Amino acid sequence: MPLAIGSWAPDLMTKWFVYGIAIGGVKLKASNPAQFHRGWPGVGFTHSLLFGAVLAFLVWRIFDSKIWAISFLIGQWAHALTDTGDTVGTMLFFPWTVHIHFNAWAYAGQTGRLHDAAAYFSGLGCVWDAVWIVYGLFSWRVLTRSYFERHIYTADRSWTVANRVVSVGALLVVYRAAFFYGTSRWIAWSLWAHVVHHYPYDLSWGGPHWIDAAHSPPLTWPQVAGVVGIVALGLAIALMERGRRRRTRKEREIGFPCECGCREVVKLTTAEYRTVGGAWLDGHEPGDDRAPSGA
Amino acid sequence: MPSRRQLAVAMGYVAASAVYVAIGVLFTDFLFSFFVGLAYLLLVAWLVPAGVRRIF
Repeated sequence: MPLAIGSWAPDLMTKWFVYGIAIGGVKLKASNPAQFHRGWPGVGFTHSLLFGAVLAFLVWRIFDSKIWAISFLIGQWAHALTDTGDTVGTMLFFPWTVHIHFNAWAYAGQTGRLHDAAAYFSGLGCVWDAVWIVYGLFSWRVLTRSYFERHIYTADRSWTVANRVVSVGALLVVYRAAFFYGTSRWIAWSLWAHVVHHYPYDLSWGGPHWIDAAHSPPLTWPQVAGVVGIVALGLAIALMERGRRRRTRKEREIGFPCECGCREVVKLTTAEYRTVGGAWLDGHEPGDDRAPSGA
Repeated sequence: MPSRRQLAVAMGYVAASAVYVAIGVLFTDFLFSFFVGLAYLLLVAWLVPAGVRRIF
């Protein structure tokens, strides 16, 4: 659930103002929807990596759950990274306000929700969604009851809390709902756009070109160099952290069962274990007179 | 490969999806909210079957 909520977080409070809403005869809509949605000034920072990290930190502190925080972060980052695929892109490295965009499919939020849906489900965005649906179908085991009970239910204590009120059967339906919703709405929008309304598919790069898409300016070479630098720095930090953790793990003492069979635990680092060639309590080594019988 | 029981469960979800898609194509407002989808799924995949089991 936190992963799903994280994936909605960037658009959760803002999309209504992008598409516009009528309240008591008064129409509320951003004067420049693309700028409001993805830009600065605007709420484009909601599609940045930093925003996800800050919210994930708050989730961790408020709910005291690392798994909720990490799940939320994965969901929010997935949304922010995916939206770089369109023609407006996202300010991924906010407060740096440059838009990272790959121009694979048209951004059409300014045309209203129905045209936006028609455009999205006619271009490469629709194909990108299909990739994840097929991946989900290949991973069907994660949707089974046994997988839910063994891995999901036990990993997150909120399921246990919810189980005090509703049955596991209902929780299983909630767990499956995100995949059900994603797949069903993909089929429904595709049918609506192409069977009911006959919008043409345009799977060319940047399509569909029949919609008046919003665009961000292309990156300059210094901006490209800046992006490459940030990504390289991020990767270097991640690799160094990984190496540090590995070293720490090697230096940490772990409990090994004494190899003489006495069922006592011997505390050694993995390096010591390898050097000695096994784990024995003092005096339990093979050939030692003090070793217990049966050793 | 999935077992027969797992296939039967999957077929139930496919049927629920077909109805959801049909409603969504006719009334697109139905497609916009995940929570509407969740409520629909809880109704057809949990509440109705649980009610039917209780009656029969």
